[in-house]
Amino acid sequence: MIRRILATIPVMVVVALFVFSLLYIAPGDPAAVIAGDQATPADVERIRQSLGLDRPFLIRFGEWLWHILHGDLGTSIFTNLPVAAMIAQRVEPTLSLMAVTLVIAICVAVPMGVVAAWQADTLIDRAIMAFAVLGFSVPVFVVGYLLAYVFALELDWLPVQGYTQISEGLWPWFENLILPALALGCVYIALIARITRASMLEVLQQDFIRTARAKGVGQTRILFVHALKNAAVPIVTVIGIGVALLIGGAVVTETVFAIPGIGRLTVDAILRRDYPVIQGVVLMFSFLYVLVNLLIDLLYTVLDPRIRY
Amino acid sequence: MNRRAFLKSVAGAGVLTAAGALATPAISQRAAARVLRFVPQADLANFDPIWNTQYVVRNGAALVWDMLYGVDDKLQPRRQMVESEQTSSDGLVWTFRLRGGLKFHDGEPVLAKDVVASLARWQARDNMGLMTKEIEQELVAVDDRTFRWVLKKPYPKLLVALGKVGTPSCFIMPARIAATDPFKPIGDYIGSGPMRFVRNEWVPGAKAVFERFADYAPRQEPNSWLSGGKHMLLERIEWIVMPDPATASAAIQNGEVDWWETPIADIVPVLKKNRNVMVDIADPLGNIGSFRMNHLHPPFNDVRARRAILTAMSQEDYMRAVVGDDALWKPLPGFFTPGTPLYSEDGGEILKGPRRLDAAKRLLADSGYSGQPVTCVVAQDLQITKAQGEVTADLLRKLGVNVDFAAVDWGTNAARRAQKSPPGQGGWQMFHTWHAGAVCIDPSSYTAIRANGDKAWFGWPTSAKVESEITAWYDARNLDEEKAAIARLNKAAIEDVVYAPTGFFLAYQAWRKNVDGIVKGPLPFFWGVSKAA
Repeated sequence: MIRRILATIPVMVVVALFVFSLLYIAPGDPAAVIAGDQATPADVERIRQSLGLDRPFLIRFGEWLWHILHGDLGTSIFTNLPVAAMIAQRVEPTLSLMAVTLVIAICVAVPMGVVAAWQADTLIDRAIMAFAVLGFSVPVFVVGYLLAYVFALELDWLPVQGYTQISEGLWPWFENLILPALALGCVYIALIARITRASMLEVLQQDFIRTARAKGVGQTRILFVHALKNAAVPIVTVIGIGVALLIGGAVVTETVFAIPGIGRLTVDAILRRDYPVIQGVVLMFSFLYVLVNLLIDLLYTVLDPRIRY
Repeated sequence: MNRRAFLKSVAGAGVLTAAGALATPAISQRAAARVLRFVPQADLANFDPIWNTQYVVRNGAALVWDMLYGVDDKLQPRRQMVESEQTSSDGLVWTFRLRGGLKFHDGEPVLAKDVVASLARWQARDNMGLMTKEIEQELVAVDDRTFRWVLKKPYPKLLVALGKVGTPSCFIMPARIAATDPFKPIGDYIGSGPMRFVRNEWVPGAKAVFERFADYAPRQEPNSWLSGGKHMLLERIEWIVMPDPATASAAIQNGEVDWWETPIADIVPVLKKNRNVMVDIADPLGNIGSFRMNHLHPPFNDVRARRAILTAMSQEDYMRAVVGDDALWKPLPGFFTPGTPLYSEDGGEILKGPRRLDAAKRLLADSGYSGQPVTCVVAQDLQITKAQGEVTADLLRKLGVNVDFAAVDWGTNAARRAQKSPPGQGGWQMFHTWHAGAVCIDPSSYTAIRANGDKAWFGWPTSAKVESEITAWYDARNLDEEKAAIARLNKAAIEDVVYAPTGFFLAYQAWRKNVDGIVKGPLPFFWGVSKAA
């Protein structure tokens, strides 16, 4: 177990090196963006020097790594604010969006998959799978616009945009997240429903299910207690993989619904070449992803006692 | 009760109330009417109007920092923080006296030493500031409310420089903040203007908040653009950044925001149909589209190749691609903003009449061009540059040019245009941008018109004639002399093709009908704006 946890450290180091190198060779110049359109080339050069962007790669990487090891993610080139503070400002909206999406997706997709497997090759199964294909096929932003048009503009039930902190009340917080979470959750629901169906189909063919049926166990109990638990490992795996999907989707969703989250921070930073922010955000996401995968690995041991690390 | 309120009450009565978490304080209608939600043209990612010359920073800064002078809607600089000024008969000694009762947001009085420090920082970054620095003999605080500026030669445009709207504008900060290196950002936002920047609510990329500064002493004259009484009728202004125009459109229709600075042309017809939304021209000074050529490398190091572009280009094609709506654009056979006192079409015949592709091809051949790749850098993430780039690519192909179309984002474009190396080694031969009409009213902030070689704006044009006419404008002592200098400058700039103007275009702004007092101008002016409940 400890070995499994320690294995995440070299992963993070490789990610750090990769991210820093990638930004170094990527085209673009934050000094030029900061200087604005009216600035002369000489102004741009002065700003570049003042930001230390003219120094050699190894010196900059060494400095950055040293600061990271001391828990300092650096200062944004643009805002002049600490990267850690900027990330902290944006964490709540993104985590809220991801959490609500996850809850909605799991609550909807797992029963859908179970029912589809139970009713395999019937109209219900086909309808559920058709919905899943649709969920995969329609881009997040299209779903987002449709939801906003219907539920915000036409029906005036929910707000179009923005985010309210949870400290300002549960309903205002949740009200702002319903549409984005539904938009973001579509792909996720489709993915989990399909995997659940496939996994359940396999389990439902096994002998212990036939035995349970022969002993007179009810259908609901067979599906949701006996079968689902044994089908859980691939489902949990996909939920873990799907976190990366959520991170990617959050970028689009936060833009469409004007949510001030990490996704938008990332896009803005990339467009401006705000290197410290990009590095900080990518490191944070990598850490989050590694952490989720670690949790999933640990969950395997609970779901399937045969698995040991 | 509307449907959303009904839903809220239903939900509130249910599980969520049981959780005891519905703690949102009710805001009275009257209080809500004192809060204006505004969607700016871009994100306020930084808030140093000297270090960062983006317009969005200037627009926010105009709320927070006051200026010594401010231009009015006739483009004339008017006294703002200054109570009076005296100039010696030889024009070399200027003595300024500040108004009484001026305060910074920390309660400290605005003193002449703060002004001197602010001027020094501005001088280091502004074109006119640099010029004043070069001829400066002395800039000192005489007493708390008086400062003196002694020059080595007369500078008739001094008040224009201090009140101009082009970036960086001369904002007045406390001396301790103004002491910051002009090439490094400030970290303290204590202002001198009518609104206070609420730093702890600032979320770069998402939100910026301004609150009324109760101790601000507005002038008594009616406000006009950056001048006059900046009376704030709003207690709080929230800038909400919305990168997606569809979201902003839905938000203003839904009443979630009150004022949208830059609705895109495609969405305007939808907004015009909404009975709760007003749509009108934002800035009568508009914008000038720019096709910028690199004067250092072939083929555009030869003036004949540059003239070939002017001979063949159709501004109509460019403007229809950029704004579509014919009511929003006009052809521009020159470099200065139409409708302003110095506007000139001298020398602009090459841009008028039917386009002459054959003549352009001949000019191109005469320049020695023989099919080498020509790199056209086009920022794809800005609609204006993308549209211009696509028209240019089509034009060049018609001229038989081998186009190397480099599709990039604006960040890459901004970096690449600074490269002087040949196109095959990371350089470029052309890119597109646009210039705010407010900047193109005269040469004071118009860096793109300069032709001083290595020191010039990207493309590095060299033209002694253009530079001498810019100097003549600075030296002009009356409007007639200024007009004559600008007419000659326009002609010279077209002859040498400093850049190719692709046309003049306007843009819309939109606001809710319960908002009053919005005026057309080069930036959103919030003084005098009110909101009904």
